[in-house]
This record gives sequence, C-alpha cells and structure tokens, in this order.
Amino acid sequence: MAVRADEIPVARGRSRVATRMSAWLDRESVLGPLFITPAMILIAVLVAYPFVMALYFAMSNSFIGRPSEFIGIKNFVKLWDSDVFRQTFQNAFVFTGIAVGFKVLLGIILALLLNEQLWFKRLIRGAVLLPWVIPTALSTLGWWWMFNSLYSVVNWTGISLGIMDPPGPNWLGQRYYAMAAVITVNVWRGLPFFAITILAGLVSIPKELYEAAHSDGAGPLARFWYITLPLLRPVLAVVILFSTILTFGDFNIVYVLTHGGPINSTHLFATLSRMLAIDVGRLGEGAAVSLYLFPLLVFVVWAQLRFVRKQVY
Amino acid sequence: MAVSRRPLAKRLLIHAALLPFLIFALFPFYHMTLTSLKQDRELYDRHAVPLIIKQGPTLEHYTKLLWDTEFMTWTKNSLLVTSCATAISVIIGTIAAYAIARLRFFGVGSFGTGIFVTYLVPTSLLFLPLAQVVNWVGLADSKWALVLTYPTFLVPFCTWLLMGYFRTVPKEVEECAMVDGATRIQALWRVVLPIAIPGLVCAVLFAFTLSWNEFIYALTFTSSSEQITASVGVTSELIRGDIYFWGSLMAGAVLGSVPIVVVYVFFLDYYVAGLTAGALK
Amino acid sequence: MDRITRRRFLTTSAGLAGILAARVPPARGQQREISYLCWNNFAPASDKKLAEIGQRFTKDTGIKLKIDHISHMGPQQAKYAAEVQTQAGHDLVEMRMHFPWLYEPQLVDVTDVVVEMEKKYGKVLSSGYEGAYVHGVWRAVPQYHGMFVATYREDLFKKASLKVPDTWEDLYVVGKELKKMGNPVGIPISQNYDSISTAGPVLWSFGGMEVDKDGKTVRINSPGTVQAIEWYKKMFRDCMEPEVLSWSDASNNESIQQGKAGWIHNPVSAYIVAKQRKLITADGMNHHRSLGGPQGRHETDTPRHIGIWKFSKNVEPAKEWIRYLIGKKEVYDEYIMAGDAFNLPVYEKIQDHPVLKTDPKYAALKGEGVQYHTYGWPAPASDKVQLITNSYILPNMIAKAVTGTSTQDSIAWADNEMKKIVAG
Repeated sequence: MAVRADEIPVARGRSRVATRMSAWLDRESVLGPLFITPAMILIAVLVAYPFVMALYFAMSNSFIGRPSEFIGIKNFVKLWDSDVFRQTFQNAFVFTGIAVGFKVLLGIILALLLNEQLWFKRLIRGAVLLPWVIPTALSTLGWWWMFNSLYSVVNWTGISLGIMDPPGPNWLGQRYYAMAAVITVNVWRGLPFFAITILAGLVSIPKELYEAAHSDGAGPLARFWYITLPLLRPVLAVVILFSTILTFGDFNIVYVLTHGGPINSTHLFATLSRMLAIDVGRLGEGAAVSLYLFPLLVFVVWAQLRFVRKQVY
Repeated sequence: MAVSRRPLAKRLLIHAALLPFLIFALFPFYHMTLTSLKQDRELYDRHAVPLIIKQGPTLEHYTKLLWDTEFMTWTKNSLLVTSCATAISVIIGTIAAYAIARLRFFGVGSFGTGIFVTYLVPTSLLFLPLAQVVNWVGLADSKWALVLTYPTFLVPFCTWLLMGYFRTVPKEVEECAMVDGATRIQALWRVVLPIAIPGLVCAVLFAFTLSWNEFIYALTFTSSSEQITASVGVTSELIRGDIYFWGSLMAGAVLGSVPIVVVYVFFLDYYVAGLTAGALK
Repeated sequence: MDRITRRRFLTTSAGLAGILAARVPPARGQQREISYLCWNNFAPASDKKLAEIGQRFTKDTGIKLKIDHISHMGPQQAKYAAEVQTQAGHDLVEMRMHFPWLYEPQLVDVTDVVVEMEKKYGKVLSSGYEGAYVHGVWRAVPQYHGMFVATYREDLFKKASLKVPDTWEDLYVVGKELKKMGNPVGIPISQNYDSISTAGPVLWSFGGMEVDKDGKTVRINSPGTVQAIEWYKKMFRDCMEPEVLSWSDASNNESIQQGKAGWIHNPVSAYIVAKQRKLITADGMNHHRSLGGPQGRHETDTPRHIGIWKFSKNVEPAKEWIRYLIGKKEVYDEYIMAGDAFNLPVYEKIQDHPVLKTDPKYAALKGEGVQYHTYGWPAPASDKVQLITNSYILPNMIAKAVTGTSTQDSIAWADNEMKKIVAG
C-alpha cells in the first residue's frame, strides 16, 4: 500500500516523548483499560460504594440527625412483623405480575397489528410510542385527574355508557381499585416499549418460513404458535427481563398517583423505602426495605437467563 | 404479499383494531391539554362534560403557571441537568463501548458483565446512600448533584447500546485506516464514529429522554424551589395544603413535556431504530 | 470537622471550584448574611409580602436576608433531612406542628425570644406550646396557626330552619335533616390527616385520649372513646354517605365547594378557594365556632414556628430577623393581613385580629373559649406518639367500628396497635 509522504504522522517538530506516548496509547492493552476507566470510576464510586453503604444503613438503627449503631439483621427481621411491609411485599408481586402480563399480551397484539401494511404508518407509530417518551411523573398527573374522586372522566364515560352506576368508584380511595389504577398507568406507559421491541423481533422473522408453512397448509393460528412465538422468545425474554426489573422498582407512578395508599394497598418497595427513610426519619428501616429488592432482582434475572438459554440454542 | 392483493376489508379491520390502542395511548394527553385550557368554573363543575370545552377556553392556568411559580427556572434546570448528564454519559459510554466491542485487554469480559449487573441495581435502591454521598461532596440540594448521579444509569445504557453499533462497523474499515498510519484513537475519531453516527444519535436521544424522565433522584437530591427540575416542581409546588390547582397542574404537565415532544417529533425514526436495535442484541 | 476539611479541599481544587464557589458560606465576618427556608404559603400574596418585609429588614439592620421557598410535600422532608445530615444549609427554617420535637437536638434554644414575644402579645396558644416547647425549652418561635373550624352551608341551614350546632350532639340532630335534603355531613374516615383532625376533637370532647400526658400509658380503652365511637357510628349511619371511607384530604373541600356536603370540618381554605374561583356555593358558605362536648371544646390546630439550626453561624442575626418579623407589631400585623385569614396570630392577646374583619365570614375564626391542640394531645409529641399519628390508628379504629366491627373489638385493636408502638 503506497503511502503518501504527508500522511505519515510527522515526527518533525514532535518530541520523542509525544511519539512514544502515542505509540503506547495505540496498544490495545493500554487503550482498553484507559477507555473503560471513566466508566469504572463512575460505577465504583457512585454505584458499588453506595450499594455497600445501603447495606450498612440497613444493618444499623440509623435515624436522621442522630448517631447510629450496628444492629445486624434486626431491621430485616423486624420488617416481617410489620403489616405495612408484608402488604408492600404482596403489592410488588401483584403489581409486577399483572402489569407485565398485560404488557406482554397487549404488546404482542399491538406488534402484530403494527406489522401489517398501514396507512399513516409513521404517524401511528409515533402516536403509539408517545406515552413512553413523556416524563412519567407528568403524564401520571394527567391520570390522577382522570381518576379524581369527583371529576373522573373515567367514571363519567362509564356512567354515560351505562356500565357504571353513579357516582362510580372512588378509584384512588379504595383498595383494589387503586391497584387497578396504578397497574393501568404502568401498562399505558410500558406498552409502547413492548410493542416496538416485539415489532422489531417480528420484522426479523424470515418471510419464507411463513410461506413454507402456508403451503404446508398451516392456518394463521398455527403459523403464529409454531413459528412466530418460538422465534420471538429471545426478544420477549429480553423485554420481559428489563420490564420486570423496572416495574418491581417503580416509584414515579405510585408516588404521584396514590403515595402508597389507600391503607398501604399500593405501596411498592421504592415508595415505602422513601417514606420510612425520609418522611419518618428511619434510615435503617428504609434502607432495609429497598434492599429487599436486590435478591428478588437477582432471582428474576437468573430465572429468565436460564429460561432463555434453554430455548435459544 | 404485495399490498394490492390485501382485501380492503381486512385492512380496514386492522386499522379498526388499532383504534382502541391509539385512543388508550392518546386520550390522557388530550384530556390533560383540554383541562389546562378550561376555565375554573367549568373545570370544577361536576355536571360539565369533561370531553369538550363549552364555556370558552382560557390561558389563565398557563399564565398563572409561568408568572406565579418558578416554572421557567425548573425548566431551565431540567434542560441544564439533562444536557450535561447526556453529554457526559455519551462520551463515557462511547469510549467504554468501543473498548468492549473492539479491543482485547485484560478484564474486558468481566467489565462487560459488570456493566450489565449495574443495570440491575435500580435507582430506588441507591437513592438513599447516594443522598449521603451527595451531601458529603457538598452538593446537597443542588441540580449539580443530578449531573453527578444521572450518569450512573445513563452510562450502562449508552454503553450497551453503542456496543451493538460498534460491532456492526466492519473491522476492515478500521484496519485500513490504521495501515494508512492512523493511531487507534485517530481511527476511532475519523472513521468509526462517523459510521456509528446513527448509534450516537440514538444514544443521545435515549439519554436525553431517560434523564428528563428521572424523578426519584431529583425529588431526593433537590428541594428548594430554585434547584428542582420540572417534574418535581410541577408535582409538588402546585399543591398547597389541601388546595390542588388542577388547571395549572395540567398546564405544567403539558408544558413540562413540550421539550421532549419536540425532540421526539424530529427524531422519531431514531427512537424506533434504537428500540429495534436493542431488541435484536 | 471531617466534612468541613473535605469541603474546603474540594473548593480549592480546580475542577469543582466553579460549581462549589456559590456554596461556600459567605459569612466570613464582614457582612452579616442569613438565610431562611420557609414553605410555600397557602396564600401566595403572603409570600410576596414576606419578600418585601425581608428587604426592609436588610435596609433597617444591614443584615442581608435570603429567603428560599419549598413545597411542603415530598421535597420538604428530604430537605430537612439533608440539612441535618450535612450540618449545613439555612440558618432559619420554618417548622410546623410538632416538628421541633423531631429535630430537637438540632435546634437552638430560643426561649429568650419567645419570652419577649409573650410579654408583648400574651401567652402562646396551647397548640403552639405543644408544638414548640420541648422538654422545658423553646426550640422554635411560634409564628402563626391555621386551625380547623366548622364550615357549613348557611343558606341551606336557613332554608330548612336548622339551628347552628354548638355541640357534636347538635350536629347529629341537624345532620339527619341535612342528609335527607341531599346535603350530608362530610367527615372523612380514612387514612388521611383530615380524618385525624376531626377524630381528635371528637375524642377529646368526650373525654377520651390516645396516650396519656406521661407519653407512655395508652389510654384509648376508656368510656370517652366508647362515646366517641358510638357518635361516629350514628353519624355514619344517619348523616353521612359511605364515600367518606375513601376520601382524601381535598375531598371534603371539593364536596362542599361543588354543592354536595352541607357541613364539613376544615381549615378556612375551603371557603377561600371557593371565593377565589367564584364558585356558586361561595356565597352560601359560612363558619361557626368549633363544637364542644361534655368534656370541653377542643379543636385541632396546625401551628407554624420558626426554628434556628444549631449549626448556623449566625444565630444572633437570625434571632433579630425573628424579632423583626414577629416582634414588631406593625410588621407582624402587615404579614398577617397579607395572609387572607390563612395565617392567624398564635398569641393570646392578639387573637382577635383585624384580618378577621376583612370578610364577615371570618368572624367565627376568633376562637374564643376553644382549646387548641396538635395531634396526639395530651401526650407530648415524641417519636412514638408521632408514629401512632402517622399510622392512622385512630381513623382506622373508627373505620372498623362504622363498618361492622363491634365497638369493643375496634378499641381493643387500637389499644393493641398503640401499645406495640409505644413499646418500640
């Protein structure tokens, strides 16, 4: 390969140190670690270290503005005695299970629809993705107004259509209705993510497979069950994994919509943790609550990775 | 499966099936905007129809929001925090992603796993101890605390996204440049990055969106009316005691979303591409 | 000490110098400067007036004053916590109800200032006392208060020739008629502060209490409590609708504002907001004196005080600001007038303030002969007592009783829960 004279990194005027430095930087074993150093520092100082701190808080009787002492796992044990915590634990599983379930189901349906030839394709996709883009805290405000006990448009619509008796349920003031409301907002917000991602998976399935199955006499349902679904598994696995993690740790929706009420029936780990640590001042208990998240997440990840590895060879 | 062969009826059916989804997705925004333009009298009238404005629209909620609260300050804070955090995270993420995708060195595998594990530690777990760290460095109740802490969840995401993009850049292009005498760094800057621009745009967009959306750190690390971000401001300062200023709350929700919607509309395809690429890793 | 050295180090290092420069406390002995963190007032005009007064203060004394506002919701708790943890922040902070108890170790002893105020204006009202007088020391200076009061639809009462109630028993009598008219009484029985704010006075007026004066003995199991619960049961059955079981703090306001409720128990915000929003019900609303019972006339109150953090380096200038804002009668009067009856003086001699004359509907806010208390009275507001309040045991007990649980069982449950908390 002919090299032009002026393309050679010119050594005239550059010191030998500079050239040595640049050569040294060229080595993979130097550049690599150098490039990941900022990220490493960030994670070490602002993720790993605080994580350890959280463990320390959780194992102390830390209270705001007062000195603390180490008390071992007392906080974790004491939490199990608390009605509120047990309720929160149950809430988290109910909330995540139902919400993710709906998102998977509706996500697949919506993705299948979006996969078709559409008019205004771009517009429709844009509209569908909008809930995911808007800041959750703000859009939840809109839902808060929609579920307001006196002026709820949901109730107004229900009553007008005749499917509800006036005055309609007080969504945010009654146990199961509040949970339904919170799940609805979470599904509303998360559905676009599922739909677009699953759509990507759908698009990547080779059309020849469908044509072959069609000529073998398989109907649309059979084609879906034996081709689409299995080939979607890796995408579904990834999406469900991330969504489960994010939904378990959700804060925004519950905080803005119900603050954990009524009667703690919508508290999640994040909101309870914040309430205990900051509103009441019990840092130790608050940290312990949030730490309950971690083993759950590890378990979820492990379970899903195992599942994915089984299905995807 | 050419378009023209699909019967019209079927296509109409598909669009009809899409309608409930579209209504579900868009109705809250319509309602929010409508409410923000309604006069108080009609807003608080139980017997009014919530789906339309009968008594004439008004801009009083918007003016109240802009003049009587520090909404402009909150928005400026959000913009500042988001821009800085995005810039920092994309830079750190780019070089980290390049290292993992292209370079061989000691620890590359475990670092990759490390990044992934970081994603498992949600903000709702870290916010308490991070509050202490933030206090220690003297950034308590400051928007700079957010610029410092947002990269913790933006960097893993950007790294992961860009890793995928870098892997799609053919190795030959880089090798060509290096044979021509460029150093690795020059090759990265002049050859690889330009090819990966769609990926970079994606990373910037997602970082911007995630950052604008963030709430629990903003709620915990900033408190004074001058330091808080748009989300925190709108959700806390428009409720005084047991008085809810619903009109202004909705106006705040609408205006607080405007910047992100503007970005979104311009870069819609990149958003879709980003999510798509993410799905196929 | 460790933290200060760290901060000084960071300040001098190049990278963060610019960011942190603004945070270095400017009071280096040359110009005196203080900062005051206060809440967004319910009356926005009051905040504007406060800024004005602050500027005059600087002109008169030469002490620079920076006033920061904060929302009383989420951010406020985090902010107090942050300032306490970092031992840095504002010099003065606004405290509400019994927060001085929560932050007692961090607040300066301001007994000297309060004694001056009491000499001028008379004794602090009982609620201010309960909130800010902690273990024999004043930890914050009482500023003003906003008490609960009976808000009712005077026009409906007149139409049906109903007598304005004076006792909780009277309320039951008119309540029955109101419900028949379609304008039931609106007292929430759910997990919110409004519920506690009504349950307290009812309980106290019948002679009941949660925890005794010593702060340790749970006394919920008493004849007074039984009477209170029986009263709630018949109110729920004959005068209210089941929706009150799922009400939020704003629900009773909204109910009377949009014409449904005929009588609610609330601070003056319900009426003021109706007036501001020009609602049709505004003209018909009025207030009357707090209701009494066999054991006296008690009322829930939310006093607000100003405290000084111990870590402040400007304690004396801070005290001067308090003396200026509250101590100078003309300034204090001006400040109260700007609050549109949301903020009322919390000192005995000046309770009957000119601001009450700005609207005839404020007449009942004069509050003579009423004993004002914070939550948990008569127990001092320790951690445990506050936790009992924040766990909504009182409203939950009543909710159980009105929805079918026997009175004895409900009381037994509450007794058990409270004992658990007191035991720690």
